[in-house]
Amino acid sequence: MKTKVKILITLLICIIVIILGIGIGSIYVPPKTTINILISRMFSKPLGDIPDASVSIVWNLRIPRTLLAFIVGGALAVSGTVMQSVLKNPLASSYTLGVSSGASVGAGIIIITGLSIPFLGMFTLPVFGLTFGLLTVFLAITFTSKLDKNMSNNTIILVGMVFSLFINAILTLMSALGREHVQQLLFWQMGSFSSREWSSVIILLPIVVIGVIILMRYSRELDLMTFGEDQASAIGVETHKVKWILLGLSAGLTGSAISFVGVIGFIDLIAPHVVRNFFGSSHKIVIPMSMFIGGAFMVICDLIARTIISPSELPVGAVTALIGAPFFAHVYFSKRKVR
Amino acid sequence: MLELKNVSAGYDGIDVIKDISLSLNYGENLCILGPNGCGKTTLIKAIAGLIPCKGKILVEGKDIGNMKRKEIASKIAVMSQLSSIFFSYSVYETVLLGRYLHMKGVFKGPTSYDKRCVEKCLKAVGLYEQKDKQINELSGGQLQRVFLARTLAQEPNIILLDEPTNHLDLKYQAELIDYLKEWSKEKGHSIVGVLHDINLAMRLGDKFLILEEGRIVSCGSANKAVTSNVLNKVYSMDVVGFMLDSLKKWEMLSEF
Repeated sequence: MKTKVKILITLLICIIVIILGIGIGSIYVPPKTTINILISRMFSKPLGDIPDASVSIVWNLRIPRTLLAFIVGGALAVSGTVMQSVLKNPLASSYTLGVSSGASVGAGIIIITGLSIPFLGMFTLPVFGLTFGLLTVFLAITFTSKLDKNMSNNTIILVGMVFSLFINAILTLMSALGREHVQQLLFWQMGSFSSREWSSVIILLPIVVIGVIILMRYSRELDLMTFGEDQASAIGVETHKVKWILLGLSAGLTGSAISFVGVIGFIDLIAPHVVRNFFGSSHKIVIPMSMFIGGAFMVICDLIARTIISPSELPVGAVTALIGAPFFAHVYFSKRKVR
Repeated sequence: MLELKNVSAGYDGIDVIKDISLSLNYGENLCILGPNGCGKTTLIKAIAGLIPCKGKILVEGKDIGNMKRKEIASKIAVMSQLSSIFFSYSVYETVLLGRYLHMKGVFKGPTSYDKRCVEKCLKAVGLYEQKDKQINELSGGQLQRVFLARTLAQEPNIILLDEPTNHLDLKYQAELIDYLKEWSKEKGHSIVGVLHDINLAMRLGDKFLILEEGRIVSCGSANKAVTSNVLNKVYSMDVVGFMLDSLKKWEMLSEF
């Protein structure tokens, strides 16, 4: 099948998944009604005989939630793709560099102290999460560059793991000291899209779109770096500088995404492998397709998380792991068998 | 023209090659010989600007220490031995990556010249018909030809070889070396090669550099630099005797 056809099918799947994600829930809204509500809201057209309750559910709850799931899934998947290519490790992700541990500590400080910075308001937690997440990655990479001038991938991964473990220990200490908040912290660490509003979508969407476009600009460098840094350098890539930019940007994408919804694993691991299986390795295609596949996968996981034990909800991180682990094993090992 | 002036380089502050000086005119090929650990690969990395060095490395009179990566890559390309492939690309995509430094614009798309150049290089190495194949489906010999095409697509004036014939069978080794020799003579460009096989080195080189413990033992044309005394000394064995002994066996076999 030609790449263009595959891209069209992927986009179609994304649209169907988003419409289903919006429609399915405690109150079912048929796809046609969902589309009508979307069109009427976007182009200020009359709604006809659609009940107000449906409009309110779709527009105020389901659409922002589904879109946020799509954006976060996309951001995590793209970040995973870049990390795997830069570090030449199929198991690498921003989490390897400690972004989730750092963000959890940032979130933990806000949850336990109940701190709210006036001009940040409800965004105090995301801002703290992002800052601590990025700070951890920055410290890990800086420490690596001091330790190993060539910034070899193994050193980066090892230092990232050491930082993650160390910061996780701080988190455990914090949990022990603020026991009454443990459950809230635990739920944050498993991720959730519940009660997310338009404001989160409006803030996160431009960050992710700009981040993904900048990463796409580095597609050729990423392609070359998968052949080894010496080869990439010999063909003209400023590998050291590019590595810093790519690691920083992907950590930034993951950090921004998880700071809004909590830590969600496995999407960043699975989506890139699925995309490479279908679309080959060229990052010009793999980066945008990872965003779409990761986004669609996250919407499906969120749909399962909120409907399977309705009216209660499962943490979406648990669903991504439950589906993701066997799925990843299937994708990864079936590929190895073919070889 | 490539010129090295008192070049020392190494890793973690320890010099592996020491005080190397040489000059090479375009159209001449230089082969670097010496035992394991004498600094051959380090010298190749230094000339490619992949590791920092003391002294000066001049390409067409310009110090590579003051050049950006893309500028160095426009003059010097490196072809190494085969390494494992992490992600698979098509043959065409892989060779197109050699055009990286020539691609302009924010998203670096290939121009029609880039595409023509890639097709020309693919035809030159006899892989045009297989351009849509994935590189992980190729044999070692075919894969090395893909990397040769990628190196040629870079359009360098100097190609550095770091044992590119490792893991290749005899036919591919000879084909690769003969092709590179023809390329340098036809274009008036140069090759600086590290080849473990002295026979292949003799086939490719116009000039020879013999290294021992990072220092030059001899440098010049074959009859000046590759003498039996020098070879026996650096390899700590009777190299010429060994070669002649093998030759005698071949002569005996050829009678049957």
